[in-house]
Amino acid sequence: MKLVVAGLNHRTAPVEVRENLAFRVEDLAPALAMLRSGVGAREAMILSTCNRVEVTATFDTAGPSEETIAAFLAETHGVAAGSLAAHIYSYEERQAIRHLFRVASSLDSMVIGEPQILGQLKQAYAQAREHGAIGGYLDTVLTRAFSVAKRVRTETEIGQNAVSVGYAAVELAKQIFGSLHKKTVLIAGAGKMSESTAKHLERAGVTDILITNRTAERADQIAQVFRGRVIPYEDFPVRLDEADIVIASSAAPGYLLTCEQIKRAIEIRRNRPMFFIDIAVPRNIDPAANDIEHAFVYDIDDLQRVVNENLEGRSEVAKRAEAIVEEEVERLLARLRARDVTPTIVGLQEQLEAVRSAELARFKGKLGTLTREQEDAIEAMTRGIINKIAHGPISELRRTAEGGGQGEGSGGSSELVNLVRRVFRVPERNR
Amino acid sequence: MSIVWLRTAVALYSLGLIYVLLFLFGKGARLFIPAHIAFATGAVFHLVALVELHQELGSWPLNNFYETSSVCAFLIAVFFLAIYTYYRIEVFAICLFPLVFFMSLIGATEFAVPNWAGLGVRNAYLMAHIATALVGYAALILGALASVFYFLQERHLKRKGQTPPRLKLPPLGTLDQVISQAMNVGFVAITLATISGVIWASVNEGMRWIFNAEIGFFLFTWAFYLAMMFLRISAGWRGRRLAWMAVSVLGCSMLTWAAHVTRSVLTR
Repeated sequence: MKLVVAGLNHRTAPVEVRENLAFRVEDLAPALAMLRSGVGAREAMILSTCNRVEVTATFDTAGPSEETIAAFLAETHGVAAGSLAAHIYSYEERQAIRHLFRVASSLDSMVIGEPQILGQLKQAYAQAREHGAIGGYLDTVLTRAFSVAKRVRTETEIGQNAVSVGYAAVELAKQIFGSLHKKTVLIAGAGKMSESTAKHLERAGVTDILITNRTAERADQIAQVFRGRVIPYEDFPVRLDEADIVIASSAAPGYLLTCEQIKRAIEIRRNRPMFFIDIAVPRNIDPAANDIEHAFVYDIDDLQRVVNENLEGRSEVAKRAEAIVEEEVERLLARLRARDVTPTIVGLQEQLEAVRSAELARFKGKLGTLTREQEDAIEAMTRGIINKIAHGPISELRRTAEGGGQGEGSGGSSELVNLVRRVFRVPERNR
Repeated sequence: MSIVWLRTAVALYSLGLIYVLLFLFGKGARLFIPAHIAFATGAVFHLVALVELHQELGSWPLNNFYETSSVCAFLIAVFFLAIYTYYRIEVFAICLFPLVFFMSLIGATEFAVPNWAGLGVRNAYLMAHIATALVGYAALILGALASVFYFLQERHLKRKGQTPPRLKLPPLGTLDQVISQAMNVGFVAITLATISGVIWASVNEGMRWIFNAEIGFFLFTWAFYLAMMFLRISAGWRGRRLAWMAVSVLGCSMLTWAAHVTRSVLTR
């Protein structure tokens, strides 16, 4: 059985190419059928996300060339195969397993450690299974990939730090307040970025959202999105104390909030802390306010710096994750190779048992009448003989398979399998 | 006879102290009125005690530390009641209810109980004093530790991640709550330890107890702690100031402990 992973991703193909090759859910069934009937795959799965389109398949003989996969993708999407060839990559066997493990563990993602890819891979697996395209081999490899991803997340800190400005703001808010439940957010200035940050905060548990904007209509629109309350633009510095978190993104030319206003708000709040997220350029909040006790002021550069530091941190962590992936690849390969020799071992045991039973039956008449105890003793003795004979070849088969066919004096696992089969006349049905 | 009235006053003042201890845990808000009535009634009994003592002595009872402490407590009580009557300011009660109780208790120890009812009672008081003091110290140590984490986490957030902490520290809000609760528990325990310590020392040592340096340190620690708690509640101290408060109260308590240890070493 040959495992192949082929396709393209954010590193090998620009978005203009990727967007043309994405599979819709309803396209998966015919595409999987085509892979099996047209390309000759025994098992197949298609992973289609915004950053990658990959075909994972097993073949009885040699896998398809990159051109074949390009032709398949081209045919299913109605694009010229020639334009894809330069973007396609293909991995086989060990490299294919390693690639799958890296993808599942989010080591191959655009943002290392992002959690979505594992869910997308699981979904692709479920869809392929639903269409009957998953067999024992792919099942073993993919379920192992899910376990490896879990192990990487558990044993490393790959997904722990925020890597987007919005999420970084949420993480910082959590470091200040602990739980964000029942916290109040004030959005001053209705831009897309402030909206996105507010969405992150809302998902993290913020329940009360106040919105203020120079244009009242826009404030009303955002208030509807968040089921928030609108406060008049000219009132908001006076009502600043109502907010735990302030997101400022107004296009105002000067500071909307001064140190004095922030000091006053904190006094009214009886020193409960305030977190100011200033994502406006030019800035809306006097940066000197960060020196006020209980006030934490982060501008867009500060947030971006946090994100960059976290990304650097993830790259460091990724090295440890790669080591886990390598270890797991070896472990799975050993398991798969051991699985390859199992039919031969079973065949050998059956063959020896057949010889033993036949010989015992042939000599039974010559032995005369035996007591029950004597019959049992002869059974045990003959079984012992064949077990001892089988022990050597079985151990050697297992050892060679687990060692990747590199056993001492061995020319590889398949050669040993053939040799054992020839020597012991193991029937073909056990292959 | 004056001691009976004074002890009655102390008992009534103790209701004010209980109100304050419950208030720290957010449970005593409705008890202010009964506590205030008990406090006012206690002040009346206190006045009766002072008048009787004046008649017994033939002069104003300002002859020693105990008497001046008692008179001072009475005056504080009167001033508080007057201020409350005119301005309805409850927050002073947080500081003055415990203070008046303790000063009156000290005044009441002038007429010391001559002997313990039994060795068991004596030991029980001593054990209560030691156990509650240890609970108080444990809470203070926890609070101070949380304060150190608070300083580190606050520094990290103020510097905007430029000095990443080696430890994954808890959120500031959580640390603030831990410090606050530790300070509350510590205050209750140290207050109970001080009460049991004063009673034990006064019975055990008679009027000389007031010259006992250990008790002096303990009273000073408690008074400092009370002042800090009052500031925390009245001025809304939290965060960095609360953390400094926890560290300084622990420092003060360590002095008391050092006094105990030094005395133990010297007496050996």
